[in-house]
Amino acid sequence: MATLHVIAHSPFGDERLRSCLRLLGADDAVLLCGDAVYALRPGAAPHQQLQQANLADRLFALDEDLQARAIENPLATAVDYPGFVALSLHYDKVNSWL
Amino acid sequence: MKFAIAVFSPAHAPSSRRALRYAEAVLAGGHEIARLFFYQDGVHSASANLVVPQDELDVAGQWRAFIQANQLDAVVCIAAALRRGVLDEAEANRYQRPAVNLPAPWELSGLGQLHEAAQLADRLVCFGGD
Repeated sequence: MATLHVIAHSPFGDERLRSCLRLLGADDAVLLCGDAVYALRPGAAPHQQLQQANLADRLFALDEDLQARAIENPLATAVDYPGFVALSLHYDKVNSWL
Repeated sequence: MKFAIAVFSPAHAPSSRRALRYAEAVLAGGHEIARLFFYQDGVHSASANLVVPQDELDVAGQWRAFIQANQLDAVVCIAAALRRGVLDEAEANRYQRPAVNLPAPWELSGLGQLHEAAQLADRLVCFGGD
């Protein structure tokens, strides 16, 4: 069952992102929002983890959170709220890393 | 499609606002919200006593307006609410507390309502974090 994993915590404060990437299924996707979009800032360990995970078109980020933090990001596909809703329906389940 | 949305964070957390924007997008997309469920610190989003500085977004007020405008089923977990001092009239009377801060459209009920919403809906989406 393909799952959309939603992460909203900073990757510098805990192990959520690392755990999520380790558990990620072949058809699963990741949506970064809130402080989790800091993982897309180049040069830091979380960014390397995302690159190594090689998610290609299975990595998304909430556009307003990228803009609010001035993060230029070639790695993830930016989505707005209607896009977030569409992703929720595209995948069978939504798992939030609360 | 039917959505159930659970909010785990208080109104001053970014994720409560994110949940509200998501809920708005769900309805704007022609979908249905089977139930909103406010759990853990999310119950603070239902308190009528929040006073937000004028230059900040009143997310709790926006939740209330959104729920009323769309006549949504908005359930607040009773166990989480009681321990955080979020009381409707019946609970304030029952525990002899001096204030009521949970008016309509909110409704106090149990965790079973979250389980039922998850069964009723095509998707359960939870919001918490920063």
